[in-house]
Amino acid sequence: MLKTIVIRVALGLLTLWAVSILIFGATEILPGDVASAVLGQGATPETLAVFRHELGLDRPSYVRYLEWFFNALHGDLGVAMTNKRVIVETIAPRLSNTLFLAGYAALIAVPTSVVLGIVAAINEGKFIDRFVNIISLMTISVPEFFIAYVLILYLAVQFEVFPSLSTVFPEMEFSEKIYMAALPAFTLTMLVMAHMLRMTRTSVLSIMSQPYIEMAFLKGLTRSQVIVRHALPNAAAPIISVIALNLAYLIVGVVVIEVVFVYPGIGQFMVDGVAKRDLPVVQACGLIFAGAFVGLNTVADVLAIMVNPRLRHPR
Amino acid sequence: MRGATKKGIAVEEYNKLKHMFDKGALSRRDFMAGVAMIGAGMAVAPTLLSGTAQAATPKVGGNFIIGMEGGSATDSLDPRTYSDSVMIGASLAVYNCMVEFDSNGNPTGELLESWEAKPGAKEWIFNVRKGVKFSNGKTLDADDIIYSIGIHTGETKSPAKGILKQITEIKKINANQIQMTLEGGNADFPVILGDYHLIVVPNGFTDWQKPIGTGGYTLEKFEPGVGLKFKRRGDYWKAGRANFETVEIRNIQDVAARTAALQSGQVHAANRLDPRTVNLLMKDKKLNVVRTKGTGNRFCFVSRVTDSPFDNKDLRTALKYGIDRQKIIDQVYSGFATPGNDHTLDAGNPFYNTALPQRKYDPDKAAFHFKKAGLANAKIELQASEGAWGSAVDCAQLYQESLKKAGINLDVKKVSADGYWDNVWLKVPFCAVYWGRRLSADQTLTQVYSSASDWNDSNWKRPEFDKLITEARAELDQKKRKEMYWKAQEMISDDGGMICFAITDYLDGYAKSVSGNDPHARYDLNDQRIAEKGSFA
Repeated sequence: MLKTIVIRVALGLLTLWAVSILIFGATEILPGDVASAVLGQGATPETLAVFRHELGLDRPSYVRYLEWFFNALHGDLGVAMTNKRVIVETIAPRLSNTLFLAGYAALIAVPTSVVLGIVAAINEGKFIDRFVNIISLMTISVPEFFIAYVLILYLAVQFEVFPSLSTVFPEMEFSEKIYMAALPAFTLTMLVMAHMLRMTRTSVLSIMSQPYIEMAFLKGLTRSQVIVRHALPNAAAPIISVIALNLAYLIVGVVVIEVVFVYPGIGQFMVDGVAKRDLPVVQACGLIFAGAFVGLNTVADVLAIMVNPRLRHPR
Repeated sequence: MRGATKKGIAVEEYNKLKHMFDKGALSRRDFMAGVAMIGAGMAVAPTLLSGTAQAATPKVGGNFIIGMEGGSATDSLDPRTYSDSVMIGASLAVYNCMVEFDSNGNPTGELLESWEAKPGAKEWIFNVRKGVKFSNGKTLDADDIIYSIGIHTGETKSPAKGILKQITEIKKINANQIQMTLEGGNADFPVILGDYHLIVVPNGFTDWQKPIGTGGYTLEKFEPGVGLKFKRRGDYWKAGRANFETVEIRNIQDVAARTAALQSGQVHAANRLDPRTVNLLMKDKKLNVVRTKGTGNRFCFVSRVTDSPFDNKDLRTALKYGIDRQKIIDQVYSGFATPGNDHTLDAGNPFYNTALPQRKYDPDKAAFHFKKAGLANAKIELQASEGAWGSAVDCAQLYQESLKKAGINLDVKKVSADGYWDNVWLKVPFCAVYWGRRLSADQTLTQVYSSASDWNDSNWKRPEFDKLITEARAELDQKKRKEMYWKAQEMISDDGGMICFAITDYLDGYAKSVSGNDPHARYDLNDQRIAEKGSFA
């Protein structure tokens, strides 16, 4: 099993390296460069040339890539081309904000959706099953900003229960952060719940047709006992990978939510970086996002092996 | 007898205006304009006004929060990188400029207290304001001004480099006097020095992450793309200004989020409200909406007059008559814009040609000129993109529709927003372009239309026009200058390659508790100085 894990991690690192080349290539083929993006409409050929030289953009791209790559190996992600700030320092508070929000939403969403999924499976075809299905499908079918605006309209503007601006600062108390970030966390919860809930329900139900489940029923167990003791452990692997996928989404895919709630996360930081062709910033964000995806997927694979008796002891 | 009646009406009109002003229904600027129009009691008006102003001595204190669009995670407090509202507003809280503008757009002294031009407007003497202290305790002198201009010249990417090129020599006369020599006369030179990039820092200053300025506030915290926080200095040299204990600027890119934050009281002011919903906000009893008319971005479709088929003047005229300006303004900008008259000067400029008739949609005239041009089969393609401005493609499609009624077929090609200014603008024969407000009539006409300009996007080069604006530049007699600039606008509007169809309004929102939020001839948020000029009532 240790060997499997080591191979998974090595493959993850290899993926990260490939991703870094892809991101670099993608930013290279975008029309325009940092100089023209920063100087905008007011650029003259002269100021462009000065700025490009200042940033070292007049050197060949492979030289710039290799330089960046070896610095990154030493933990130095460079300075932003646009405002000369050290990227590691600017990215750290934003990354921790993103992780805070993702964790906040996950803590609500994961238990709720797994429990509701099991409840729906136990009561297959009954009112409660249909009800949670319809509600979760509704929340996933509308665009994310729509849910966000509805929550803002009712909970922030009309009744002023929660703030519509969720800007959190490092010096805030933990409880204050929880209060400030409530609306984006609720929105994200609604967005990711449907996927996990339905996966839990479906994979539990698909196990239900297996002979050993029939055996359990014949033993005289109730439906809920059969599901929790016998069906769920065998259905865990797909549920875990869906949860991992949704956690990754919570980290990398929430730019719209960040914009609507003015939450200082890493998504908006990357979008600004792309808009200004700030290559080191885009590279750094891309690496972090890819890291989150690869890391969570690896963890999910390993967990799936560990919970499944058949995978744990391969014959 | 007749004179007496006329005077009676004027007094009545004046009282009505005064009443509206006192009730807050009129801004100070509108009041003054109204008074000027009825020609009554200009002598009494200022005394009455200053009486009102004195009665309302601004209260000091409070934490003022502004929600703003126009910032990014790549921002910095180095003036050579400024390009959008957040940094301009932040900059004016910490630093001062050389020259300020009054609400009518005329230059007044800021750190350069006063000035005088030698005949020919080539040599200028500037007096540096005395007794102004930087936040580190240093007293302002001529060296600081010279250094602060110097950072924008030479090897730099500063956007102000171009406008400062005309300075051939800067000489310190004494600690409080500077002489500047220009390569040619420029009667508007003080206006140029009012550019928002030209803020003043102490001589030799380089650490832009810890700004030192003469402004009313000091920087407490700066997280690019998130926000800034400032603290009142308390010893600000401008009496009665910088009245908030602390000021916060929050970056709120999304207009719905900005509006919601304003409505729920989380911010006290917000810029760039959505024209489509602003009518609802105007009904909100907790808010004031301030509209600054027609000084925003100028939206244009620009053809290059050296490229076929736009080298045909009749075609250009047809294209100017064939655009339904009012329809675009109503449908795209919900009516919150002013029709453009095919040049980029706005009505707020003292030299705006008010006698030039506003060009209107006239499909018959467009068809007539199109026929005269004899280009029935010519392919006319307009390139537009969201990279030009957000609604450029919508505007282009409405334009296409209105041209069709004149029998002209326009192809609208939507192109990528990425690198638009690099790859499309100044290169293709016909494309969408926006222009921002420039400091002076001279700067506008020179940058957009003179033969020597890198940005002459219509490639419209006329020696007689160049001669006219060069002469006007050095002309210190305002009346003569006005005539010249009026002529120049007429030439562009008649012959140029630009269809400038709309100039947007600025829409700001404020909580009722905020005062000092009058519209200004230059920028929104009271010329981006609301932190300095505002206070809580």
